Amino acid sequence: MSSSRPPDVRPTLPETQPTFIEPLIRDKRVIVCCGAGGVGKTTTAAAIGLASAVAGRKALVLTIDPARRLAEAMGIPEAARAPAPVPRAKLAALGVPLAGELHAWMLSPEIVFETMVRRLAGDEERIQQILKNRLYQHLSKIVAGMQEYTAAEALYTLYSEGKYDIVVLDTPPSRNALAFLEAPRKLSLFLDERVIGVFLPKKGALLRAASDLVERVFTKAFGEGFYKDVQDFLGAFSGMFGGMRAHAEAVRELLTSDQAAFLLVTSPEPAALAEAGFFQQKIAELGLPFAGYVLNRSWAYTRGFIGPEEIALPEGVLEHERVALRKLTQLADAERWRAQRDRDLLARLRMEAAGARGAGARHDGRDGTGAAIATPHLGGAVEDLAGLAELARNLVHLENA
Amino acid sequence: MIRDELLKSLLPLRAVLVTGKGGVGKTTFAASLARFAAQSGKRVLVTEIGSEEATTSALADAIGTPKITEQPQEVAPNLRVASLAPALGHQRFLRDVLPMKILADAAMRSSAIRRFLSAAPTFPEMGVLYRLLDLVRMKRRDGAFEHEMIIVDLPATGHALALAQIPASLLRVIPTGPIAAAVREGLELLRDPGRTGAVVVTLPETLPVSEAIELVQGIAEHEIPLAHVVVNRVPFDPFSDEERDFIRSLLGNQRPTLGGRTLERIDRARVALGRIANAVSVPVGVLQDVWLDGPRLAEEMASLMAVDQVEVGPTSVRRKEEGAA
Repeated sequence: MSSSRPPDVRPTLPETQPTFIEPLIRDKRVIVCCGAGGVGKTTTAAAIGLASAVAGRKALVLTIDPARRLAEAMGIPEAARAPAPVPRAKLAALGVPLAGELHAWMLSPEIVFETMVRRLAGDEERIQQILKNRLYQHLSKIVAGMQEYTAAEALYTLYSEGKYDIVVLDTPPSRNALAFLEAPRKLSLFLDERVIGVFLPKKGALLRAASDLVERVFTKAFGEGFYKDVQDFLGAFSGMFGGMRAHAEAVRELLTSDQAAFLLVTSPEPAALAEAGFFQQKIAELGLPFAGYVLNRSWAYTRGFIGPEEIALPEGVLEHERVALRKLTQLADAERWRAQRDRDLLARLRMEAAGARGAGARHDGRDGTGAAIATPHLGGAVEDLAGLAELARNLVHLENA
Repeated sequence: MIRDELLKSLLPLRAVLVTGKGGVGKTTFAASLARFAAQSGKRVLVTEIGSEEATTSALADAIGTPKITEQPQEVAPNLRVASLAPALGHQRFLRDVLPMKILADAAMRSSAIRRFLSAAPTFPEMGVLYRLLDLVRMKRRDGAFEHEMIIVDLPATGHALALAQIPASLLRVIPTGPIAAAVREGLELLRDPGRTGAVVVTLPETLPVSEAIELVQGIAEHEIPLAHVVVNRVPFDPFSDEERDFIRSLLGNQRPTLGGRTLERIDRARVALGRIANAVSVPVGVLQDVWLDGPRLAEEMASLMAVDQVEVGPTSVRRKEEGAA
């Protein structure tokens, strides 16, 4: 070990200290991870779930990302009907004993939707009527749009059942995540009686003109069979709308309450930062409790690193070895530049997070806000439980550059 | 010339679907390709999916325009930009299928119908598809296509496939009628290798490459012709094999050393490039890491594209239908 001190290290800082995420994993009921695609959102969500479980809570990580990356990292089966536990023994073997529990679930729109139908439709005859409807089968299988509806619905179910202390939600990539944030409102729009009403056979005089037009349009455009399918579908569903609206409203209430926290995951890439800015604005607009940033893929952490120029080459090295070290020194210079850029960025994000808290006045001061780096040493992607465990440790306890 | 064969082979296409996971530089690639094609003399329309409601647009930044509108606007000679708005697709569709324009307009004014179309799952995507079809069909007075090439900057992975899956899925629900005919036409366009090509953009890292391979398989399942895979932000590798081996052994018994993380990144990129080249049967293009952003990045990339060697993957273009195009 070299005893000389690299220029980047600031010597007076404590070894580690809790990050702003530490209180969140102890107190919150829901943590939502948002951000652009490709910034490590799914992995961050999994690590936060793991950190909560280590801290003694019964945690569930919910992902709606169709790439099913989390499954690979955590050994969770695809298209499971219910959350599955991440084996404690596997984690214990890595020196990560769980004081609580960790479960994970890859959301399947089809399964969530069917569960909802079974719960809300009432009798078996009606359940079968809905499940056999052609339009229902089409809607429940399609991925676009349904993920957002079902994420909200699954969150409602899991929250209301109270089986878990904390649910960590990984949102779909990029703009689709906004559809998730707005899913309850959008769902209410879709389920508005004024929309539904025009399709149903029984209707008041006010709706007749509109519904005649709708029928003409739909019959012309989609053929007679489809209009009938829509009518049957909505007819069978109409008894459920009250329940679905109530769920949507409950989810909105939960997500705007102080039991929830929204984290923005980003990388230092300009495109990811632009997306993060977009999300932060959206989160503020929707009145959601913003907690702060997680900066992934950053070069900010250089604590304890030495520079290549401190490496003394032994006597009699070959020319190509000298050249190689010189090249490494050039890479190191670029890394120093990136580290400084990312530290500046981190400072800026911290200020923005503090500013957002002040403006929103949603937090009472006990809640943490701020910005943290998640992957100080991990250069590549987290692909196994050991990497996830290190990430979890860093997220809650790290001297952040 | 083999150098820009990759991009030139895209020029005959009517629709280029740029797809990939979020954050891989998809939008920058779409903008750069648009500039390249426009400079090559094509009338180009570059689009993203969305409506004017969107407050920020990655494509607007990349192309260097303040706002993207639903109607195509010219941003450079031969180069237009627009958003593919579902509502315009719905409107156009209703006009096409309803006997009177006035009825279609009345239908679009009905808030019940508007709400239904914008909120019911899959209908927005259907509107996007119809709008794309409309723009592809649009002709000038002289009979030439208004937009010879339309580039679509698709949303991130999962949803790109979802969009592709909608036509077939809709046809099962609505097998006959004008909408079925329109969907069939859309499907025909999307599956015609002479007119449509998908470009999968990815990064030279383990997970993005795994996901790109998954995406390539998904695209094949939907019978959408894959034109190219582009690996973006490939780090410059200054080391010879000999030099690398020495540095590896040198760093093996040191404290964490600055420069080491970059070396690891270079090594991961080498492995990732090898994996993707083995997994796909189309040419793989490599774009070097450039530290720029916004329109400057798109311009820089467009110039890099013109000179950058395709370094990995089979050099022969395996697009059997190309002769027919």
